[in-house]
Amino acid sequence: MAELEVLLQVLFWGLYAGCIYILLATGLNIIFGVMKVVNFAHGEFLMVGAYITATVFFLSGINPYAIIFLSMLALIGIGAVVERLCFRPILGTSKLNEIFLSIGLIYIFTNSAAIIWGDEWQSIKSPYAGITIPIGSLTVPFDYIIIMVVTAAILCALYLFLKKTKTGREMRATSQNRKGAMLVGINVERIDIISFGIGCALAAAAGTLWVVSGQVFNPYMGSIPAVKAFAIIILGGLGSIPGAIVGGLLYGIAENGAAYYVGGIWKDAVSFIILIIVLVIRPTGLFGESGD
Amino acid sequence: MAMDLNLKRDTLVRYGTLAVIGIAVVAPFLSGNLYIINVITLMLIFIIFASAWNLLAYSGQGSLGHAAFFGIGAYASTLIAAKSGISPYVTIFLGAAVAAFIGILIGLTCVRLKEWFLAMVTFGFAIIVQTITVSLLTPITGGWDGIASPRLLSPDIYGYQLIEYYSILAITIACIVFIYYVIRSRVGLAFSAIRENELEARAAGIDPVKYRLLAFALSAYLAGVAGALEIHHIGYITPEIFGVDLSFWPVTYVILGGLGTLAGPIVGTVVLTIIWDGLKLFGLTFGRYIIVGVLLILVIIFLPKGLVDIPTTIQKRWKQDTKGKNQYDLKD
Repeated sequence: MAELEVLLQVLFWGLYAGCIYILLATGLNIIFGVMKVVNFAHGEFLMVGAYITATVFFLSGINPYAIIFLSMLALIGIGAVVERLCFRPILGTSKLNEIFLSIGLIYIFTNSAAIIWGDEWQSIKSPYAGITIPIGSLTVPFDYIIIMVVTAAILCALYLFLKKTKTGREMRATSQNRKGAMLVGINVERIDIISFGIGCALAAAAGTLWVVSGQVFNPYMGSIPAVKAFAIIILGGLGSIPGAIVGGLLYGIAENGAAYYVGGIWKDAVSFIILIIVLVIRPTGLFGESGD
Repeated sequence: MAMDLNLKRDTLVRYGTLAVIGIAVVAPFLSGNLYIINVITLMLIFIIFASAWNLLAYSGQGSLGHAAFFGIGAYASTLIAAKSGISPYVTIFLGAAVAAFIGILIGLTCVRLKEWFLAMVTFGFAIIVQTITVSLLTPITGGWDGIASPRLLSPDIYGYQLIEYYSILAITIACIVFIYYVIRSRVGLAFSAIRENELEARAAGIDPVKYRLLAFALSAYLAGVAGALEIHHIGYITPEIFGVDLSFWPVTYVILGGLGTLAGPIVGTVVLTIIWDGLKLFGLTFGRYIIVGVLLILVIIFLPKGLVDIPTTIQKRWKQDTKGKNQYDLKD
């Protein structure tokens, strides 16, 4: 019985960690789907979102969950600028260039954050910290439940946006066939900017949720979650949003299971071991088509 | 005309190389400053490291986890030297062999992967190696605290810094010459054939898997030499050596200097070291990274072949300008 309880607890932590990965991975996936670009600096947007949330919370003291809108809006702007200035000029050149460019962006963002906010670990306290809700035999922090609900709400909103709005349809068209989209009169460069902005906004949402759940953050926190998010979209298939959701949840659970059963130090390593095993067996990912 | 230009460029390169080596030889006497000697020593080590990364990229494989090989070489050499008492001058090559062996193992998982996939897996390996170092291997590696590493030369020897400097310079030159001959040989041809078009390379009878692994082994070996040299020079090693920072540096140096060229890593490392330590004089710490990042992005967008391409770019511009004028004249 005790074993089962522990298992459920680990599963629940995994779901919560998975939420943050899902938001990151979905953002990356939208950008990849539309632009066929991989942004390795995606975690830096999560970090900026985290700092914006913390700063506004320290200054105003309003409910940190409400700041999610502000951090998403701010990151749409930052994302649009980054797309226009950095990624658009190298579209269509060697794929390795995106990786190299991302390294430059990582330098710029992490160290700007270190100058503005300092490079120590920080954390904030959620107004609901300490409140737990008993579900069956489990006690679950109230924050975790809010985070799952918020993630689900964001994903639903995104789904409606992609399915129902004109811009959403244009984004899907561009991701299916860029040239075809151009032919029917879609301004693909506008769609690129919008997609990049939305991808960054999802990273910002992940950053806000990261902070309000009481996790520590510093300017260098972004790279590992970003690479994991990338691993998730490789597992789930490049460009597939359902794949990102399933992959994100599985990853969160696998990682927390490993942390519990093998030791916390193995948390990051285990996620890469999973990735490497999958890639050795299937070089294009579990459900993915070829990367070319 | 074209031949003539090539000849000119060749002599330019030759004299340039001689000049660089000359400056490196006399540098300690020009400055006489121990701090500057130390900066140049580290620069030489990073030239080896960047060239090693570049050699792998030359075969079409871009790694984001080269800190793994740098660190494995350093740890292996440190442990061998500390346990056996052999001079670090010998153990750096043994430690690097361990790095090359691990490099082949990592390469085996990577042979079918390309671009982002390869970058991801190599990045992941650096983290896995770090985790193993601080968990399973803690009894011999000292965990997060690290361990002392035998110095290249005992500080009791008179002028040991100078001897160390010249020996590292000699090793650096040897590594560059080695890479030069690899690139010029059939192996180098095979590397670039695979990079340009794997299918055609296969059709020409080149076994891509074999050469990819060879590239991994050579690159990991040289990175291991660089790592071992750095750690024996500093005298202390911690698992921080496997960090993201050290994986990104060689990429930055090479992209800035010029990807896939022999001179690229050297130019990139020298230029960045000057900028890096120059900015330090202004008291910039985080700001230096921002400047490097901006520089990197500007080079990728406006000078895709790196700083070494500046002369050619100018020449081309100039040629185009005159050509354009001629055509205009004719039409007129």
